[in-house]
Amino acid sequence: MRMFDIIEEILRNRHHFFLEIRDKKEISRKIRGMALASIAFLIVYGAVLGASHSLLQSLSSAIKLPVLFFATLLITAPTLYFFHVLFGSSQNITQSVALILTGITVTSVILLALAPVTLFFLVTTGNYAFFKLLNVAIFAIAGIRGVAFLSEGLGIVSNNTEGAARRRNIVRLWIVLYALVGTQMVWTLRPFVGAPTLGFELFRDIGGNFYTNVMASIGEVLGFWMVR
Amino acid sequence: MTNNQPRNSRETWEKLLDLLVEALEERQAERRAAPTSQPQPKPATAPAAAPRPAATSSSTSQQQLKPQQPGPQQPSPPPPTKRPPRPGEADWKPAPRVNSIGFGLTIGRLFLVVAIMAVIINIPLFRYGVSLARVAPDERALVIRDGLLLKGEGPDVYVLEDGAVRWISSLQAFELLGYQWHHVHMVDDTFIAGFPQGEPIHVLFKCPDSDPIYRIEAGVKRWIQDIPTFEAEGHVWEDVHMVDCETLRAIPDGPPIPEDAGVPPQP
Repeated sequence: MRMFDIIEEILRNRHHFFLEIRDKKEISRKIRGMALASIAFLIVYGAVLGASHSLLQSLSSAIKLPVLFFATLLITAPTLYFFHVLFGSSQNITQSVALILTGITVTSVILLALAPVTLFFLVTTGNYAFFKLLNVAIFAIAGIRGVAFLSEGLGIVSNNTEGAARRRNIVRLWIVLYALVGTQMVWTLRPFVGAPTLGFELFRDIGGNFYTNVMASIGEVLGFWMVR
Repeated sequence: MTNNQPRNSRETWEKLLDLLVEALEERQAERRAAPTSQPQPKPATAPAAAPRPAATSSSTSQQQLKPQQPGPQQPSPPPPTKRPPRPGEADWKPAPRVNSIGFGLTIGRLFLVVAIMAVIINIPLFRYGVSLARVAPDERALVIRDGLLLKGEGPDVYVLEDGAVRWISSLQAFELLGYQWHHVHMVDDTFIAGFPQGEPIHVLFKCPDSDPIYRIEAGVKRWIQDIPTFEAEGHVWEDVHMVDCETLRAIPDGPPIPEDAGVPPQP
């Protein structure tokens, strides 16, 4: 269980954790620890997510969920790093990756903490649209908290240098970009839950988008329409 | 006597100044101790001073000066509205490091429990191999998308493509297209009627030993008279599938295409 000690470091001593990232103390160990912990948590949550459909979907979601987060990290980390450097930050890309991984780790811990709730609804309801929306809400809560951690970390790592105010604005814009890339990645890698009326699919055809699908599911749960 | 008086007054002034310095130090210490926890009221005197008439300005200035005088009964002035330092800023200090409460171990245990549950809910525990995760009765919703198979009250099966329903005209076509029966959704006829009708999906058969081409439709084979008719019906050569002649002969004859083409030849 020593591999999860880093979670306590992040959650209970976060200021010191961020200061250590700023001072480049044991960054490799931190990145390794956060990556392992978040992959483990995301695998488990993915397995729960796909279980409502089939065993294959469960396995597929268990693999796809960590891929979703780490692919989003790969796509968005360079943007954050280069824009920070452009506006006077002296942090390196390893520090940027460590900070984004902090956000992902917090997100994955919250997902793990909410997994029993997901399991409960999985066993007690068969409403696909409701289950999908429940998970959208859970991911939103976990994601917002993770991004808040990341934002605080960025403040600590690079606030004390020139151009800090401008970089704070960049972080806000980057968070919007991160959310957009993340949701598009979700849509590209779907299904994670798996529609009960369809057979198992590793990936579904590209078409539509995440936001219209969420709106349609809300309409269905509220009884405005039956299908779509 | 006369020399003592200025000395006394000087001592008094020094005492007053000492008290003032002490009071200031105490106030600064208080500010340092709790910079954000106390709500910071707006300074009432500053905005109120401007519209007041000049006659009251002296009393106002006295009120402003009052809090600066030392004395235990004096009300403290509103604390300054200085923004607390943000994390990472020069005068920011992190909270002291807290001791471990074994949270890593707890989260590890939670991880194990959830992982075990994720396995258990996928094990078929009920009759017919249904697992706990899929035991809840489905309130199934159709996902409208290309490839959705629909069947109304009649025998016809339709596939949804580009927002229109296309009739699959034979079992052979259904199977050749790779569809499976458990993917067909039973719906009301009115639901199917809600979509525009697209071109039907036919399958064409030909056997290697004879030339005629047949369209399989609703369980019968319909001879297509010639190539112009074949093309006029919108068929392409890729639609033609080779089957053995015995199988083709076993399918009953339907009306030829066109219907006045005469007696259809046997494969």
